[in-house]
Amino acid sequence: MSDPMNSARQGFDPGRRNFLKAAGLLGAGAAASPRVLRALAPAEAQAASVRGEESSVFSACDMCFNRCGLIARVRGGRVTKLDPNPLFTKSRGMLCARGQAGVAQLYDSDRLKTPLLRQGARGEGKWKRISWDEAIALLSAKLEEIGKKYTRCGMLFSAGADMQSAFVNRFAEVYGSFNVTSHESLCLISGNRAFLDTFGEVPFADVLNSRYVIMAGANRFEALVTPDSMDMVEAMKGGAKLVVLDPRFTKTAAMADEWWPIRPGTDMAFMLALCNVIINEKLYDERWVAEKTFGLPELHEHVSAYTPEWAAQETGIPGPEIARIARELAAAAPASLVYPGRRTSDYENSTQIRRSFAIVNALLGNWDKPGGLLAARQVGVKPVPADAPWYDDNPETRVDAHLVPLMFEEEGSFVLTREAVITGEPYPVKGWFVYKTNPMQTAPDRTRTLEMVKAMEFVCVVDIQMSDTAWMADLVLPAPSYLERKDPCQALQGSSACACVVTREPAVPAMFESRPVFDVLKEVAGRLDLAEHFDFTIEEYRAKQLAALNGAADVLARDGVYYNPSKVYGIYDNMGYKTKSAKIELYNQRYITAGLDPLPVYAPPKSPPKEIADSAFRMVVGRSALVTQSSSTNNALLHELVPTNTLWMHPAAAARLGLKDGEMVRVKSPVGEGTQKLHVTAHIREDTVYTETGFGALSKGLSRINGNGLCIAAVLEGKYDSVTGNAAMHETFVSVTKAGGAA
Amino acid sequence: MKPQLAMVIDSAKCMDCKGCMVACKVANEVPGGHFRNWIKVKEVAEPRPGRGRQGHFQPGACMHCDKPMCVDACPTGATFKDPKDGTVKIDRALCIGCGNCIPACPYGARYRHPVLKVADKCDYCPERRERGLLPACVDTCPTKARVFGDIADPDSEAARLLAANQGRIARVVRADSDTKPNMFYLADTAPADWPHKASITPPMLALTKWALPGVSALIGLAAAGVAAMAARRFLIERDGGGSGHGPGHGTEKEG
Repeated sequence: MSDPMNSARQGFDPGRRNFLKAAGLLGAGAAASPRVLRALAPAEAQAASVRGEESSVFSACDMCFNRCGLIARVRGGRVTKLDPNPLFTKSRGMLCARGQAGVAQLYDSDRLKTPLLRQGARGEGKWKRISWDEAIALLSAKLEEIGKKYTRCGMLFSAGADMQSAFVNRFAEVYGSFNVTSHESLCLISGNRAFLDTFGEVPFADVLNSRYVIMAGANRFEALVTPDSMDMVEAMKGGAKLVVLDPRFTKTAAMADEWWPIRPGTDMAFMLALCNVIINEKLYDERWVAEKTFGLPELHEHVSAYTPEWAAQETGIPGPEIARIARELAAAAPASLVYPGRRTSDYENSTQIRRSFAIVNALLGNWDKPGGLLAARQVGVKPVPADAPWYDDNPETRVDAHLVPLMFEEEGSFVLTREAVITGEPYPVKGWFVYKTNPMQTAPDRTRTLEMVKAMEFVCVVDIQMSDTAWMADLVLPAPSYLERKDPCQALQGSSACACVVTREPAVPAMFESRPVFDVLKEVAGRLDLAEHFDFTIEEYRAKQLAALNGAADVLARDGVYYNPSKVYGIYDNMGYKTKSAKIELYNQRYITAGLDPLPVYAPPKSPPKEIADSAFRMVVGRSALVTQSSSTNNALLHELVPTNTLWMHPAAAARLGLKDGEMVRVKSPVGEGTQKLHVTAHIREDTVYTETGFGALSKGLSRINGNGLCIAAVLEGKYDSVTGNAAMHETFVSVTKAGGAA
Repeated sequence: MKPQLAMVIDSAKCMDCKGCMVACKVANEVPGGHFRNWIKVKEVAEPRPGRGRQGHFQPGACMHCDKPMCVDACPTGATFKDPKDGTVKIDRALCIGCGNCIPACPYGARYRHPVLKVADKCDYCPERRERGLLPACVDTCPTKARVFGDIADPDSEAARLLAANQGRIARVVRADSDTKPNMFYLADTAPADWPHKASITPPMLALTKWALPGVSALIGLAAAGVAAMAARRFLIERDGGGSGHGPGHGTEKEG
C-alpha cells in the first residue's frame, strides 16, 4: 500500500460505486506509472517539472466551498491539468466543470498582480501600483489609527469560505475586534439554525441510502454539494424516489420522479400538511417518536388546521397529491427525508420555514439512521486557539448584536452589520478588511453596500481578482490562487461518505507579486505588537492541527486525503440531544423565551404592491453547476459556457407585457434596476422570474462580466430573516419592461 | 475479436454539469468556440406539473464508428480507423485542413482547428491513457455516466456493462447515415433526432475511393507522404470489413 495508486485501486471502497473499474484498461493491467498518481514533495515536484517531466501535486479545489480533492498535473513549471483525486470519497472522485476550469483561474489575465492604492474617487478605477513594503506599512498604520480612534471594534473583518480565512478570524480576535462577518449570513445560517434548534446539531443528509427524498428550496443537480448531488443520482438508479418542489423547472426538476411548481414562499404550508397527514393517519413510529421527540401533542394540535386541502390553496399543489406524497414518504421511513438544503437566505421567515422541514424529518424517525439525517462526526483536527489580549476600551458586543433573537455570534449578520456601519449605531465602525469575499455582488441591495463603503475611512481587500468589492476599496492586495498555496488542514464531512482531512500543497510558486493572506497578516501582526499570535509557519500550524492524529501528515502526503473512520449511524443510541429537553424538539421551548413561535406558524407570502401588480414578479435567484456566484463567472473557460445571465419569464407573462425572447429588458425593484436579456420559457411559473447570480459587475478589472448581465445585488432588497439576520433574497418584487435602445 | 475502444454511457445519470466538456477542453487545449464533446439536451417545451423524468441529458463525442464517413471523406488518408484500438484517428501531418470530413460526420464531432489548420476531434486522450489515466471526460464525470474501455475485452467494465444490458442498448444513428457508431447508451436516451445527414463532397468521395494517387498529385504531397497514405489506406481496407463486435450489443435502436 505504499504506492498511492495501488491504494487507490485496492483500498478505496466507495460503497455501491466502483469508479476505478470504470475502464477496462485498469483491469487489463495497463499499469500506471506510480509517478503519475503520486504527489511529489513540492521541491521534488518543481524540480521534476523544470526538467520537463510531469509531476503531480495534491491539492483541494477552491472553485466553490466543497473542497474536492484534486491532483494538479504540472509540466514545465505550468499546471496543465487538474484531475480528481480518486481517493477523495466526499466528491465521489470527481471534479466538476468549475473544478476543471481552475487552470483558467490560475492563468487568468484579469488576476491582480501587484498591490494597488486607490488614486481617484472610490470606484473610479484609478490605481497606483505600490510596493509590498508600502502596502504593509499603510495597512498597519490604518489598523493602528482606526483602533485608536474608534476602539479595535471599529474594524470589520470579512473573510470568505477559504482555507486561510481562519487566519483572518484569528487576526481579528487578537487585534481585538468582535466584528467579523463571513459569507454564511448571505447563505446558509437560517437552515442551520432551524436544524440546530430541532435536533441540537446541523445534520448531513444520507442521500445515498435514502429511498424517498423531497427536495424543496434546493437544486442539487445544478448547485452541486458533495456527495449529495452524485449520491442522489446513484440512489435514484437504485430505485429511490425524488420529489422536487420548485417554481422553476431546474435540471433537478427535469430528472426528478415528480416536479411540482410550488408557489414561492409556501414550502412551509406543504410541510405542515405533511405533518398533518403523518400524525392524523398515525404513519410515524409511535414508540420512537414518544421516546426521542418533545412536543408531539402540541404539534398535533398545531397542524390540525393545516390540512392538505388547505395547503393546496397556498402551494398550488393538489391536496390529494400532498396526502399521497406524505403517505409515500412515511412508508419509506426511516430511509426517507426532506432534504435540508443549503442556501436558505430566501425569506424573512426562513428559519421557521426550515424548522417545518426539520419537524417532518423528526416525524420520519430518520435521525442517525441509514437514509436519514446523520450526526456530525469528529475527524480530530484540533483548533489552534489564540490567547487574545483584552482591550479595555472595547464595546461589549458586536455592532449587530441584539437586533434579531438568534443570530450566530461567530458569523454575525452582514445585512445588519451594514446598517450599523451606515448609521454609526451603536458605535462607529470605520475600517474594513476583506479577504476573498464579495458582498458588493452577493449581498442584496448594492446601493446600501455602497453607502457602507462610503461610511468607511479605510477599506482593504485581499483577493485574486478585482472583485466589485475590491473595486470600491482603498488598498487592494494580490493573493495567490489555491494552486499556488500551502494551506492549513481542513476537516470535512460528507454524509456517510467520509469524515476526512485535506490540505493544499502549492502546484506552482505564487505568481506575480501575490502573497498569501497568512503572510500579510503575519507581517502586519509583527508591526502591531501582535507577533506572538502569528509565531508559526503553515507547517507548524498544521502540526498543531494534526497533533491528535498519529501519522495523518504522512497519509496526507501520500494520498492527498486522510480518513478517520468512525461510527456513522447510531451515534445517539446512548446519548441525549443537545437541546433543552435533551430530545428532538418538535416544539422548541427556547423559542418562547426568545419571543418566537415554538412551532412554525404559517403566514402567506406577501403580494406585490397594488400599483405594480400587473407587471410585477417575485424574483428568485440561483445558480448552475458552472457558476459559484461572482467568483467564477469571469473565468474564461466557464464564461464560454455561461456568457451572461438572462431573465427567465413565462411565455404567458411575456405575451401579456409584449416582451419577446432575446430582447433586452429593464428589471426594476424599489432599490435599484438593471438590464439583461429576456429568456422566455415555460420552465418557470407565470408569477415568478429568475436570474443567475454573479453577473453585471461594476469592476472593470473583470473584463468578461463588467457591465454584462444583471447584478442580483442591484435589484434585490436588503431584507433579512427575522430569527438569524440571514439575508432574505426571495422577498423582492420586480417590474420588467422593454429596455430603451437596442440590445 | 479486434480491440475496440468505446464508450458506454448511462445518460440517465447525466446531470448536464458539463464537467466532461471543460475537462476535455483543458486536457486537449481545445480552442475557444470549439468543443470535442458535448451534452445534448432533450427539449421540454412545456414541462407538466406532477410528472417525472421529463428531461434527459445525453453526453457524447466522436463515436469512433465502424463505418466512419469521415474516413470516406478524407482525401489524404489523414483520417483513418486504427485497427490497433478501433479508434478513428487524425494524422495531423497528413491533414490538409480541407474540412471535407466535417459535414461527413453526422454527429458534428469534428471542427477545424483555427490555429493548427487541421481537423480535430475526440481521440480518447491517448497521452493520458499512456500514463494509465482515463480519458479526461470519463475521469472527471461526477456521476460516472461515461464508462470507457475495450469492448472486445470481456473483462473491461465497458464490455461488462454492454453484456449486462443486452437487448436494451441504444445507439444514436440516423437511418440514412448509419455509421455503426461505437457509442453505446444504456436503455432509453434522448434526444435521438439530432444527427444530420452525412454530406460527402462527391468528387472527393470518388477521388478517395478510386483515385488515391491522383489526389496526392493534386495536392502535391511529398513522395514519402504519398507512400504512407497509400500504405495506410491499404491497411485499413484490408482490415476493414466486419462491422460488429460479436453478440451482446447488436440490438440497435435507431434514432
